[in-house]
Parts: sequence; C-alpha cells; structure tokens
Amino acid sequence: MAIRDLGLTVNEGEIVGLIGPNGSGKTTLFNLISGFLRPERGEINFDKKDITGLKPNKICKIGIARTFQLTKPFAHMTSLQNVMIGRAYGSDPVRNKRQAKKDCERILEFTGLAGKSHSVAATLGLAERKRLEIARALATKPRLLLLDEMMSGLTPAETESTMRLVKAIGDSGMTLIVVEHVMKAILKISSRLMVLNYGEKIADGSPEEVVRDKKVIKAYLGK
Amino acid sequence: MVLVPLITRRDDVLTWLCLTLQYIILSHSWNIIGGYAGQRSLGHAAFFGLGALIARYLWLSGLPLFLGLLAGASTAAIFAIIIGFPTFRMRGIYFAIGTLVLAEILRIIFETTLPQASVFPTRLLATYNLVPRYYLSLLIAGLTVATVYWISHSTLGLGMISIREEQDAAEASGVDTLRHKLLAFAISSFFAGLAGGVFTYYAAALRPGQMFEPVWTFDAVVIVFVGGVGTISGPIIGAVFFVLLKQLLSIYLPGGIHILVFGVLFIIVVLFLPGGLIKLMPKLRKRISRGRHPY
Repeated sequence: MAIRDLGLTVNEGEIVGLIGPNGSGKTTLFNLISGFLRPERGEINFDKKDITGLKPNKICKIGIARTFQLTKPFAHMTSLQNVMIGRAYGSDPVRNKRQAKKDCERILEFTGLAGKSHSVAATLGLAERKRLEIARALATKPRLLLLDEMMSGLTPAETESTMRLVKAIGDSGMTLIVVEHVMKAILKISSRLMVLNYGEKIADGSPEEVVRDKKVIKAYLGK
Repeated sequence: MVLVPLITRRDDVLTWLCLTLQYIILSHSWNIIGGYAGQRSLGHAAFFGLGALIARYLWLSGLPLFLGLLAGASTAAIFAIIIGFPTFRMRGIYFAIGTLVLAEILRIIFETTLPQASVFPTRLLATYNLVPRYYLSLLIAGLTVATVYWISHSTLGLGMISIREEQDAAEASGVDTLRHKLLAFAISSFFAGLAGGVFTYYAAALRPGQMFEPVWTFDAVVIVFVGGVGTISGPIIGAVFFVLLKQLLSIYLPGGIHILVFGVLFIIVVLFLPGGLIKLMPKLRKRISRGRHPY
C-alpha cells in the first residue's frame, strides 16, 4: 500500500505507537524509513540530516535499526552469531571478536535469549525468533528502533513478556516506533499514538485522545 | 606433500597430484562466491579462461611466469567487478543464468577469434617436466586454501555468510551487501584466474575456447557440493574424490563417463547428504557409538 503526503515527526526518547487497518501503509512506512523503498517525492530527515534514498546498510550505520514482521534470521547460524553480525557491522562496529562477543552475550541476556545463544536460529520458536530480531537490531546500537509487529502470533504470556522487553528498551532512552495490532499492548507502551489509514495519517496524539477519535473508530469499525 | 617428487617421479602419480591440486584451486575459488557469499555463479569458466589465456600468451611471449599468472588473475578479478555491477542486481536463479550466459559469450568470442590450438614451442616440449608443475600447483593451492581460511575467520567472511543466509537482514544490520558481493566475486575470480594460469602452464596443448567451456564451472560446483559447500576441507575432499574417480573410470570406461558418475553422485549427495561428504564422518561416528551404547 502506498503512503501519501505523510507528515511525521518523532522526538528523541518518544515511543510512538503506529496503528492502522491492514494495508494502511505501516510496513511501507518502515520500508521507506529504513531504506528498503525509495520515496517518489518528499524527504526523510534524521538528526537534521537528509537520509532520503540512502541504502538500508547506510541507514543502519546512521543509527536507525529495524526488525522484520516476518522474521528473517540468519537461519543456519546460532543466536550469538546472528547478533554478532549486527555488532560487527551496525552503527558502532566492534571488530574485536572477544569484545563483540561479550556485548552480544549481554544483549542476548537482556532480550531473554541467554539460554539459546548456541541454538541454531532455524530451531527457535516464533517468540524466540521475534526476540532475536530485536536482539540483532539492538546490537547495531541504534538511536531509533523500528519494531514491526513483534507481538503478532504470540500467546498472551509471550505478548506480556515481549511488552516488558519493549518497555525496557524505551526506558533505556532509545526512541521507538512500534507497529502493533495488539491494541492492549500498544496502548500500554506508547507515549504517543498515530493512526494510518489508506496511507494517510488520520490521528496523532496521546493514546487516550486517539482511541476516542471519531475518524479512528470509523476506520476500524466502519461507518 | 613438498617431498613427494623426491620419493617418486612416476608421471602417473605426479599427474594425479597436479590435477587434484588444480581442482582444489578451482573449486575453492568457486566456494568463496558460491559457498560463503551464497551467490551461485555459473560463469566461473569465464574467469578460469581469462586467467588461463592471458597467463599463457604472456608467458609464451617471454614474460616471467609469475607475472603472467598475476596479470591473468588480476584481469579476471577486474572483469568480475565490471560484470558484478549489472549481474548482482539479479538474485538466485537469475544471477546463475546471467553469469552462465556471460561465460558462454566469452567462450564463443574466443572460439571464433582464436580457433587455432595453442601448443608449447618445441624448446619447451623437449624439456617438459612435471615436477615444477607439481610445485606450482601445490603453492597456489596452499595460497588458495589459506585465503579461504582467512576469509572464513574474518569479519568480511561473517558479512559474506550473512548475505548467503538472509540478504535483507544483512543489509538491515549494516552489511553493505553489494560491496561484499563484489569483493567476494573479485577474490573468487582472482583465484579462478590463477587456477587457469596453473592449468595453462601444465597443459602442453589447448584450444583457447576450451578454457571457457562450462565444464570448468560445473566441475567446480559439483566438487564443492559433493565435498561440503561453504567449508574449508569440503572442496579438498571433493577434489581428491573427483580426480580419483575420473582417473579410475577413464581406465575402464570410455572418456567422459566420469562426469555421468559424478553427476549421479552429486544428486545423491544433495538429496541424502546435504552438507556433503564432510558430514559423513560425524554421522558414521554417531552411528558406531550408538551401536556401542544402545541405551
């Protein structure tokens, strides 16, 4: 789905929740910011620098990391090796293997994957694979992290613990944009909520305001 | 290995060793781009051929051999970078077909422009000796394996493997995938060019077009897959096995039949032993130890 005339500003330290019906352009927006898609017009700025049209690896090096809704692990490598790639490249590359390994073990610990660090990624369950996405993104040392549906398909208990993880990342001062379908979760984590519909922004404000917005209710419930 | 020529000067032994070493160079060079970076190029013959022709003509025109080898290998690497830009826009099967077509174009060009076979001049034929051929093959094979070992333990190798595993995730993690692929392609082609150069020093007579035939590509691919793709020892095991089979079968069966046998073996390995012969040993060991301790 295309994005049309979208104006969006995210301030440092915010946790912006991004919601909208299927096909409203949430993932497209992530693909635009992270460089997987190039906008036809308009521009994207990060930290006062124009990053429009940069390749994804450059965007990552500038300090914007993303996860994939359909997880994309390095399937035949262990969790530790997966995270090591983020650490060895990313925005603050550590080429010293021992140092990188220590950092990555801490990140795996933080994301609750410490027990799985030597498991091959292909053998991980869905909840673990989603956490691995987050761990790998964190290893690139981003200042802005884009989380794409980290809770879809999870059990209530897994959703709960992933929510705590996202909250903990936000508390560390990192700026987050979170796409999520699980309403309860997104209302709880985000400091600001934004609603997309047909590629346009229809609401933007505090979670309490937005859920009472007439346009939002119409987009979700029809009429 | 260094002492072999001191123990035996039997031509059949030295020929067998030379061929094995040359196939190690060729298959390991493909292993870099196809095994580690995961870009299944089918145009490997192009780089083998370029390295072979340039090295041969420079050497036969009087230049020192190592300069010829270097010039041939470098040309192959530069050519790889040039064709890498358009071909790396394609992924998977399209990349494979694109590179195959490029190699075929080169083959046809050289078949038509240089139809004459190139034969060593009589002064070289009179003094032809397998021992220096053996040492050159050994040296370059050692260099190739050492390079692959270094790559597999470096950050560069980690980046290459990440592209093989999941290109989008690699890019999102900060890996400049185009740069890594080009570099892998250039290094791979450099060694393919060296393989061609070594072969050209070994072969007394050859047709230029023959150096670009797809069989060079497919031999390399099959050896890597049968031995163990993306590993250090896999292509070595594969090359030993390949040459052994080739030499043995050529004694008893009409020429070329080894390709058929190896092709069937390739299918069997891919279907039942993904990971190659290198995976056979731990599997057997497990089975034996399981037999010993049934519970």
